[in-house]
Amino acid sequence: MSVFEANLREIAKQSPELAAALRAAQGGRLEIRPAKSGYPTGFAQGRAIHSTYDPVKESISWATAQIVSCREGDVVLVFGIGLLYHVEALCKVLPPSIRIVVAVPDLVELHDACAVRAWGDWARRVTWVWGVPHSMARRTMELGSSVRFMTYVPAARLHPDAHAAIEESVRRSIAHAAGGQLRIAVVGPIYGGSLPVTRSVVTALESLGHHVDWIDHSAHATSYHALARLEDARHRQVMQNKFAEFLSQLTLVRIAERPPDLVLAMAQAPMTLSVLEHVRKKHFLTAMWFVENYRHLTYWQQMAAGFDFWFVIQKGACLDAFRHAGAKEIHYLPVAADLAAHKTVSLTSDEMEEFGADVSFVGAGYANRREILPQLITPEWRLKVWGNEWDGATAIEPVLQRGGVRIDTETCIKVFNATTVNLNLHSHTGKGLDPEADFVNPRTFELAACGAFQLVDHRSLLGELFTQEEMATFQTFEELPQRIRAALHEADIRRAMARAAFDRVVREHTYQHRMKELLTQVGMAQPDRVGTILKGEREAAQLSRRCVDHQELVPLLKNFSVTQRVELEQVAERIRHRGPTATLSREELLVLMLDEYRAQTRDLI
Amino acid sequence: MASLIVQLARLGDLLQTLPAITSLTARYAGERFDLLCASTLTDIVSLFHGTARAVPWEADQWQQWALGWTNSPDSTMTAAQDHIHQLAAQTYDTVYNLNQHPRAILAAHLLGRRVVGPGSAGPLYENLPPWGTYLRKVARDRSANHVHLADAFCGLCGVMPPGRVPRITPHASDLPGSLEKVGDPRYHWVAVIIGAGDLARCLPPAIWARWITALLNAHTAIRVVLIGSSGEIGRSRAIQETLSPLLWGRVWDATGHTNLLQLALLLSRCHWTIGSDTGSLHLAAAVGCRTLGLYFARARVHETGPYGDQHRVWQSSTFAPDTWPIDESLDFIVAQTSVPQLTECTGWQLWEGHVDEWGMSYSRPGQSNVSVDDRMAVWKHCMSMDDRENVLL
Repeated sequence: MSVFEANLREIAKQSPELAAALRAAQGGRLEIRPAKSGYPTGFAQGRAIHSTYDPVKESISWATAQIVSCREGDVVLVFGIGLLYHVEALCKVLPPSIRIVVAVPDLVELHDACAVRAWGDWARRVTWVWGVPHSMARRTMELGSSVRFMTYVPAARLHPDAHAAIEESVRRSIAHAAGGQLRIAVVGPIYGGSLPVTRSVVTALESLGHHVDWIDHSAHATSYHALARLEDARHRQVMQNKFAEFLSQLTLVRIAERPPDLVLAMAQAPMTLSVLEHVRKKHFLTAMWFVENYRHLTYWQQMAAGFDFWFVIQKGACLDAFRHAGAKEIHYLPVAADLAAHKTVSLTSDEMEEFGADVSFVGAGYANRREILPQLITPEWRLKVWGNEWDGATAIEPVLQRGGVRIDTETCIKVFNATTVNLNLHSHTGKGLDPEADFVNPRTFELAACGAFQLVDHRSLLGELFTQEEMATFQTFEELPQRIRAALHEADIRRAMARAAFDRVVREHTYQHRMKELLTQVGMAQPDRVGTILKGEREAAQLSRRCVDHQELVPLLKNFSVTQRVELEQVAERIRHRGPTATLSREELLVLMLDEYRAQTRDLI
Repeated sequence: MASLIVQLARLGDLLQTLPAITSLTARYAGERFDLLCASTLTDIVSLFHGTARAVPWEADQWQQWALGWTNSPDSTMTAAQDHIHQLAAQTYDTVYNLNQHPRAILAAHLLGRRVVGPGSAGPLYENLPPWGTYLRKVARDRSANHVHLADAFCGLCGVMPPGRVPRITPHASDLPGSLEKVGDPRYHWVAVIIGAGDLARCLPPAIWARWITALLNAHTAIRVVLIGSSGEIGRSRAIQETLSPLLWGRVWDATGHTNLLQLALLLSRCHWTIGSDTGSLHLAAAVGCRTLGLYFARARVHETGPYGDQHRVWQSSTFAPDTWPIDESLDFIVAQTSVPQLTECTGWQLWEGHVDEWGMSYSRPGQSNVSVDDRMAVWKHCMSMDDRENVLL
């Protein structure tokens, strides 16, 4: 029997369909040459997939480095096939309690792997998943919910898109299944654009069942702005910095009073690097959702190493820049819509008259808007501009509403609902359209959530959030008048697109979706700390089940309701409540001792 | 019978436990005494007379277990149980606990049948024994402390102070490189402790450079040894860079070059040790080196002055002094006059140590034993009725 047939027989024991598919497939993805050690090694696209000296030794080193964070019951999903030396090594170093799953995005490559060398008993331990990403993810999740990804980069780089799709699908499945309650401290800014996003984040997390402690610094905005009235610029700077430092300390105290599982800071939240360092030393997980353009607000460069996780609204160069600045974990997470805040409303005829227009724009008077919007003033349609910071923009005055005062969210929603064509022009401090048009602003999602039709300037990241059937865009200023004109005359198309955009938002782009995504990323990177909570493994009933060798602990846990999340702190507190004359068992003394060290390690102040 | 003494605090407190160990072993002759201390300090306990074994307490390991408990409570409990069993296969008959924090109280109850000192009424009983109350009051009110901390440790154990100065004898372990020359009898050796565990107690490098310059200029036989941890190498460099190059040949830099046993040996070869770090001063005192303490910030002479006769301490009246008693110290360090000529300078007062049957006390030079009545009153107030009958009467 050939090596290929022998290996195929092993696969067939587990998956006859995969074996049949492999038999029908043709090989040829990999070029096989002998390594210096004599073992065969593989090449693809001119690059070696395994060591050209000793692929076995190299794979053992790789596997040993990978398994450090694994624990019993995990399911390891391996990306990258090659000649499977790395999978063989994993089988050797991982205990049997850990399942090993190999994703097969390409039958041709696995066909090559089958034909080159005889597999040993290790192959029986491997579960193969193949097909479309969704089914691979589902099959993996069936084996266990504690999934760890292991990427053997030299081989995985042949199919990056397929692996990303599987990973995404697994993450979504885990997020969907997550039900445990986290304690999350959300640190908001003093003022600014990230403040309403913070509100939405808090609401979304609460709606997902988590306990949220909103450290709301907007209460201090009046004092902060009062400092701006100091005449000497140096005094102003010094006092505002000291005020921000004070608020940073206040954040620390708030975190100390109600220790969270995760500190989620929003962009512009007052947290100094020294406070962050202190929080991290005490083993608190920290994350920042930087809902700002990283090119304009650059303080992240000093803070990059301070947070455990960064979430940003841009990709590509942005992710690289954060990594170079010292960010350990960086993920793309676009903004979204808050369906409770932005919604379709019915308006009276008076309101339609006041807030309605053929074309409206809501926003602050950035340079590009000051240049573009006056050129859209024409008798052909009725244009209204709403918002503040338009001082000195005389050309816009004829259409500027309420003298350019800031309007609240309720008014915005009325404008969006009453307008035929809502213009969404991303801000830019120069002239014309933003030349580095990548991220998508919150307005895009807000308009869609209101069921309003919008014309938005093209953004490179828009395509993966909305299709062309859901969102009307323009690439240049020159084409804008024509696009407005067309939209005004095509009511059916307008309504269909607005409806489609609304449906897409409800389906995929709410802050609940984003928070699930964020927590899943954190949970997968920290399966022992956050992942277990999300999976409900810290609930009293689950903990009791795991105390098989320490039945003495079970009575302690029985004091809690079965679904109540129980931490060491709570168990210790119950013991202390028994009063000063209580006689304690050895286990109880140990619990108290452990809690003393928990407090010493975790207590911030 | 086997007993355990629990002292989980830092080096200074561990060395201040020596009088209690001396008194306990004298009173309970033939009984075995082990000492539970931070695992980083067990080497120094090997030099103590009277203790059979240093039992290492691994605080880092407990922290790891504390963080991992919820993920795997069963395996964490098993590991912690095994650890306690390894520390003491059999429970001690009596545990003398010298620390008031819950970790020490819990450790005492985990390891022993009977607890003496804080926690004696039970692990959750918050009321302290009289000596514990006394120490807490002194610490909280910053009030006059007539009984030295080391003697209060004796009181916590239910024994009187030993009435003499307990010493430790360093092993003749190898000193690194050029430090072997320290102790050359042709010279008068002064150890300078350049740092302190508490940043507020650190003298600026420029001030140390002034001290060292004054010492070296006062007599050609003076040699200075800089003492510090590996984290204080930068301070040492800063001090040396400020010194005149002409003085460099008379300064030995031991900063970051010694472990605890080597440091004990090094200090035993010096005539004087000067510094503001109480832990190192206690070590110097324990190996028989005279000490000059510079006490400011939270350090107080009556509480933690080095244990023994003839040690001197300058006590600052301010938290962060801006003048330093340098010239005022030269006569007794360099000229070795038995009675200091100057006992005060702006913001500072000089105190001198004495040991008697009531333990250690510090008084102004020439005014010894003024606090005997005060100390006796504290002892009578704090000793329990049983202890009073056994010890005092």
